[in-house]
Amino acid sequence: MRYGSVVAVDHVSFSVRKGEVFGFLGPNGAGKTTTIKMLTTLLRPTSGKATVLGLDVVSEGGKIRPRIGVVQQDPSYEHALSVEGNLDLYGVLWNVPKVERKKRIELLLDKFGLKEARKTAPPELSIGQRRRLQVAREFMHDCEVMFLDEPTTGLDPQARRVTLDFVREKVRNGVTVFFTTHIMEEAEYICDRIAIINHGQILALDTIKNIKQKFGGVSVIHLRFAEDNSDVDRKLQGLLGVQKIVRSQQKDESLRVFAEDANAVLPRIIDVATTLGVHITELRIEEPSLDDVFIQMVNSKGRNRNE
Amino acid sequence: MNSFLRLLYRDLKASLWSTKSMIAVQLVTPLFYIFVAGFGYASVIPTMSVGNREVSYVLFLAPGVVVMQIMFAASMAGAMLWLDKRLAMFAQIVVGPFSRWQYILSKLVSIMLQGMLNAFLVFLIASPLLVGLSVSIEGVLYIAASLVLGSLFFGSLTLAISVFIKSNEAFNATLNVLFTPLMFLSSVYYPLEKAPIIIQAISLANPLTYAADMLRAGLLQVYVPLLPIEIAALIAESLFAFAIATAAFRRVKP
Repeated sequence: MRYGSVVAVDHVSFSVRKGEVFGFLGPNGAGKTTTIKMLTTLLRPTSGKATVLGLDVVSEGGKIRPRIGVVQQDPSYEHALSVEGNLDLYGVLWNVPKVERKKRIELLLDKFGLKEARKTAPPELSIGQRRRLQVAREFMHDCEVMFLDEPTTGLDPQARRVTLDFVREKVRNGVTVFFTTHIMEEAEYICDRIAIINHGQILALDTIKNIKQKFGGVSVIHLRFAEDNSDVDRKLQGLLGVQKIVRSQQKDESLRVFAEDANAVLPRIIDVATTLGVHITELRIEEPSLDDVFIQMVNSKGRNRNE
Repeated sequence: MNSFLRLLYRDLKASLWSTKSMIAVQLVTPLFYIFVAGFGYASVIPTMSVGNREVSYVLFLAPGVVVMQIMFAASMAGAMLWLDKRLAMFAQIVVGPFSRWQYILSKLVSIMLQGMLNAFLVFLIASPLLVGLSVSIEGVLYIAASLVLGSLFFGSLTLAISVFIKSNEAFNATLNVLFTPLMFLSSVYYPLEKAPIIIQAISLANPLTYAADMLRAGLLQVYVPLLPIEIAALIAESLFAFAIATAAFRRVKP
């Protein structure tokens, strides 16, 4: 996708499975919103092909739109109507019957903490409340695929959690979600798989666990023993998958084992301890965070691009 | 309800209904035109010869004021699109179960309805002047065509302008600059038969003249000699303006 001479999305290729939450992660300006705009038929790709629900986004946009829901990044609302009026009108636009509209309005006002503000017009709401209204509004109608473009921007942690849980609930009912964010903990909480995008190109696409393993470097297993046994170091060093072992300088019988796949190495460590008859009193795995992986990937690819 | 009617409902509820105080304010101007300026000028121009009849100046002016109301109401179409773009509702609507074509048509029909409501209210206000007038079926058709085509032309015009102009201030300024000559270089305030030839020539290319003359034909049975041509021209210009607005609308980036 080009904007003049700028390539905003460059040969991106991915597929989203039915019923999953697919995270599209990237820094600001990475191409997330442009991708969503193409998939929701707002922008026509300058080249390539994209399908949603098996339908072409260029030639079959009219068939796609009634089956999707979209929370866009830009705030949007009917400025002259109350919160309740906004929800109701949106329900009318989506042809939701009156009785069902009333039911959904009450549910959403409750879930999104907007009951007190039901008669208030959006210009008088806080930024967070307006965002909650915008997200809640999209649940007034049913859809098969939901596109959420940084839906939690401006929300406090509690509201963010409520929003993500509500999205999860919809996924359990069969909705597929395409979710963009640059908040990694959010992605870890809700996404089944993620793609990391920067400068319009996908840098990685997999489950979070696999991405951490592939790109996050090593995990660290912290161990503490009840008694000193110098054989432990030697035996552990020879284990398959262990990169190195560092004993604590504090003579407290603790050591750190560095391994690419901590979960695979752990049973072998326990076997060694059992064989040598040493008791493990503390065991803790420190995995690389998605934040670390994300920053490392974005920075290194950015550097490569500039070189 | 089909998609177009749902969009129309939205326009009426979210845009026009919310500006109901604005509609009331818009009625103040025609009141002044008809009851202050109209009667003021009538003291020096008691009656005038238009087409095939002699009419009082106040009666001559009233239909002109109504079509002016239509023109001002039509500017709401552009303003509504402007607001929808600013509040990102345009992008939200066009990712919904609607086509852009339905969106633009809902805007035009909603301003048509608003224009007709305004016209009805002006007629109601001016009703003491209209006592004794009888309107035939043919007259009703003239009146309806004048209001519908006038709304379509000016609504399409302001929609097209709102696509190309980047700021709200520039949009309002452009309409002011455009509407002033349209009002005065037309048959809204005076009959064209005795106007200077250059004013006649310009005014006869003005859709506001056509709409005013059609409305007078319907309401007062006053027929200017070029009325059949004016009707054809207003139909053609309204359709052309609608085509331009639709083409311009494709350029709107959500």
